[in-house]
Amino acid sequence: MTLLTIDGLKMYYRSDDGYVRAADDINLELERGQTLGLVGESGSGKTTIARSVIRLLPDNAEVIDGSIDFDGTEITELSERALRKQIRWQEVSMIPQNAMNSFDPVYTVGQQIVQVIRYHEDGVSKKEAKDRGRRLFGELGIDPDRVDDYPHQFSGGMAQRAMIALALCLEPKLILADEPTTALDVVIQDRILETITGMQEEINSAMILITHDISVVSETSDRIAVCYGGRIVEQADAETIITNPRHPYTLGLRNAFPDIGDTDTDLVSIPGTPPELVDPGEGCRFAPRCPFAVDECWDVTPQPEEFDDGHIVECHRADEADELRERAEQKETWEEVRERPSQPQGAGGRR
Amino acid sequence: MGLREYVVRRILQLVLTLWALVTLLFVLFRMVPGDPTTRFVMEYPTDAERQARIEELGLNEPLYVQYLEYMGQLLRGEFGDSTHYREPVSQLIFPLFMNTVVLMFTALLIAYTIGILFGAAMGWLRGSRFERGGIVAVLMARSSPEFWVGIILVWLFVFQFGLFPRSGIGGYGGELTMNFVDRYVNFDFLRHLFLPALTGAIVYLATPALLMRNTMLEVLKADFVEMKKAEGLPERTVLYKHAARNSVLPLVTVAAIATGAAMGGSVIIETVFNWPGVGREMVASVSRNDYPVAMAAFLLMGTSVIVMNFVADLAYLYLDPRVKYE
Amino acid sequence: MSLDTPSESTAAQAEGGTESIDRRKLRWRRRLNALRSWGSLLKEDRLGQIGLAILAFFILVGIFARPITVEIGPVWSQVQPFSLAPHGYTDRVATEGLHGPTWAHPFGTTDLGRDVLSQVIIGTRATLIVGTIAAFMAVFIGANVGIVSAYYGGWVDDVLMRITDIVYGVPFLPFAIALVFILGATLVNVIVAIVLILWRGTARVVRSQVLSHKQRPYVESARAIGASDFRIMYVQIMPNVLPLISLYAAFAVAWAVIAEASLSFLGLGPQGMISWGEIIYDVRSAGALREAWWWVFPPGIAIMLFVMSVFFIGRSLEKVVNPDLRHGK
Repeated sequence: MTLLTIDGLKMYYRSDDGYVRAADDINLELERGQTLGLVGESGSGKTTIARSVIRLLPDNAEVIDGSIDFDGTEITELSERALRKQIRWQEVSMIPQNAMNSFDPVYTVGQQIVQVIRYHEDGVSKKEAKDRGRRLFGELGIDPDRVDDYPHQFSGGMAQRAMIALALCLEPKLILADEPTTALDVVIQDRILETITGMQEEINSAMILITHDISVVSETSDRIAVCYGGRIVEQADAETIITNPRHPYTLGLRNAFPDIGDTDTDLVSIPGTPPELVDPGEGCRFAPRCPFAVDECWDVTPQPEEFDDGHIVECHRADEADELRERAEQKETWEEVRERPSQPQGAGGRR
Repeated sequence: MGLREYVVRRILQLVLTLWALVTLLFVLFRMVPGDPTTRFVMEYPTDAERQARIEELGLNEPLYVQYLEYMGQLLRGEFGDSTHYREPVSQLIFPLFMNTVVLMFTALLIAYTIGILFGAAMGWLRGSRFERGGIVAVLMARSSPEFWVGIILVWLFVFQFGLFPRSGIGGYGGELTMNFVDRYVNFDFLRHLFLPALTGAIVYLATPALLMRNTMLEVLKADFVEMKKAEGLPERTVLYKHAARNSVLPLVTVAAIATGAAMGGSVIIETVFNWPGVGREMVASVSRNDYPVAMAAFLLMGTSVIVMNFVADLAYLYLDPRVKYE
Repeated sequence: MSLDTPSESTAAQAEGGTESIDRRKLRWRRRLNALRSWGSLLKEDRLGQIGLAILAFFILVGIFARPITVEIGPVWSQVQPFSLAPHGYTDRVATEGLHGPTWAHPFGTTDLGRDVLSQVIIGTRATLIVGTIAAFMAVFIGANVGIVSAYYGGWVDDVLMRITDIVYGVPFLPFAIALVFILGATLVNVIVAIVLILWRGTARVVRSQVLSHKQRPYVESARAIGASDFRIMYVQIMPNVLPLISLYAAFAVAWAVIAEASLSFLGLGPQGMISWGEIIYDVRSAGALREAWWWVFPPGIAIMLFVMSVFFIGRSLEKVVNPDLRHGK
């Protein structure tokens, strides 16, 4: 059963130079209890997309078009008050990247858990709320007595666990996990990730897992969506994205992390920088960095195209994927991009 | 450097600063052009009396002896005798000092309570019309010298509406022997306190309001503010329970410093409202050449400044254990 | 602001034995950039514009208030012949004193039958003179103490900062009152009293700013090339703390004007000059506060507007110094 449907969402930021198209034509679906991996570089729009679900965006953000349906509720039209009381934390909670900074330093962790429980659930006493916090701490492998500690008394990994406790205390239907392990030691990253997925299964909640590291989502997600320049350039079930990707950007991302793909290929990073999202003009936004870009790519914005069941790609050359996949594994393919002139003659719109 | 070492160093610095103030005071009042002794004894009509007074004050001694005697006197907590009131300065100055403390403390309490709430709201509503208007209002108040604010309030509340008394401290004002409660806790006193305290509050409001706004802008960038919004907590909770609560820390030190400075800044307000405090007494005694009183008043105000600066530094250490000492 | 960092390092790299024209150009461009960045900020900063307009108005009024005559020995010449003020500030223009506004005397007359408008116009001068001279001297001393203290560090820093701490322990107004009373209420003494206290704030902030600049690569490379201490302090570091210094200069003008007005209000203003604070002192001594609103409001509003204009300008300078305060993203 579908929990979340994002349909044609355009979420732009107003700026002095015009609109920043942080999320452009986004289409996503998420089933109950499933995990969606949102992958992309910083500035690719993945955080904007996820936060649109609870409208936790800067003041200059504006929904230009599209809809967000969460469990029958239209988020874009919801009043501030209803959004706060019914959606935020009650239905959708969040695990941020930096748990340490995401707790208010002047209150104990317990006080902050009690506060949010008592705000959203009527008739819960302080003691009951605190007991729930202690129980969650226990389940997450923290000494329950530490609910009375201040955030700065926790280690990084412990703080992240405490944050998970906070995120789960209302048993939400959806958890937005925004790079939940990036700030942590490599050693404990996996353990935290396991904890999150374990608890998620227990309360049967869905999750949107945001990360720049494709290897993280490959293990934990049911479905993966790859973001680039404010658009979802490719989405499919996790298996397909890992074994049979079609978008050159996904191919590049795969190369950048060692855990997946062929183990004997060199690590190659994608050259270049993310695109400017103010007035990006026509053409594929990845073209300046794409080793396979042809003239069409510079002039015509590719439209989503569905291949196998639910495998949606925005690329003009998606049907040549088998050939491109091979070339993408060569280091030289990507290095050529660096040497080529930044824009062929006659292409409009970008520098 | 350890905490203990820092505190010890800071205490030594306090002593040094106090000593410097005392010495400065001595030099200042011996700088009088011409014969420095004449101004001290101008009040006395005959030569014989003047001579007697000069000897009594020790003004005929060499300067260093005078200095040492002056220091010794201060260490014993004495300020000498007033040439105008003809009584020990210490007896008359402390009740006056209490009046100043009560007035300025009230003013600061109002200024910091309102300033903090107002500044937090300005930071929260960054870029709004409320913020812009608030800044102009606050700067306008800050741009007005105390006497100007005082005069406007007198003109409005006393002359136009006739709501409050024009000056003084109330019916018992002259009675300095009364105990604290009788002197300050009565309706008449509060009526007299209102306008001068409001004057101070208006002038002192700008510092906490603007500072609070600026620290709010910093704190609002912190992840936890975003997090509290994600938790669905009402805006007012996020603003006052979380963002403002975190912004208030640096204001504690500023408040301590302001308290010290206010004791010295009370001169004008006390003059406008004829408030019997150390500030007005200092101006009066300087113009009467009553130097023992003037020096004592100055010393009390300066000591307040120095001690409160010291308190501010220590408060900072206590409130934020993560702070590093240089 | 963002523009001056790269050109700064270029300037330091280009540092050779002789000063090349290129480098001098770069340095000027850098200064111009700081100025220009304030200029472009000002375009969107309404308060800053209003502040500048009010200040310009007061400066013009101050200059043209009364004719200015320059005398060198027997030779004298009138460099500024205009007189904005219709009367001298002690001229008796009405036979009966204390009269409300009329066409002839828009701000009314004083108890001695003097024209309030003329007094307020001429009073602008005292404010301008005390405000600019005292603020300039205070900031000059403060900036130098700050730079020297931070640059040399060690015992120099210790001594200068202990002195600064001591000055921080002196209550401003009581000190000024005592000093002016003892030494006499002259223009020079009023300014000296203000300057002796006012430099402390600038010294502290400039010191901390220079401390952070001392660590930057451009100072290192200048030192490696063998530039003199004086050169590093005043040619390399100084331009970078100049926006901060000008910010403190603006605040110093505000404090100096308020201090002068307060001294004058107590009857300790500079003798032989009329100032806004002194007009209000006169109202009080004449016991005319209840009656003569026309006499007390103009000088009070003038002080407020003047100080406000300086604060407005200061706020817009603050955005140059601290870009975080700018609005928007």
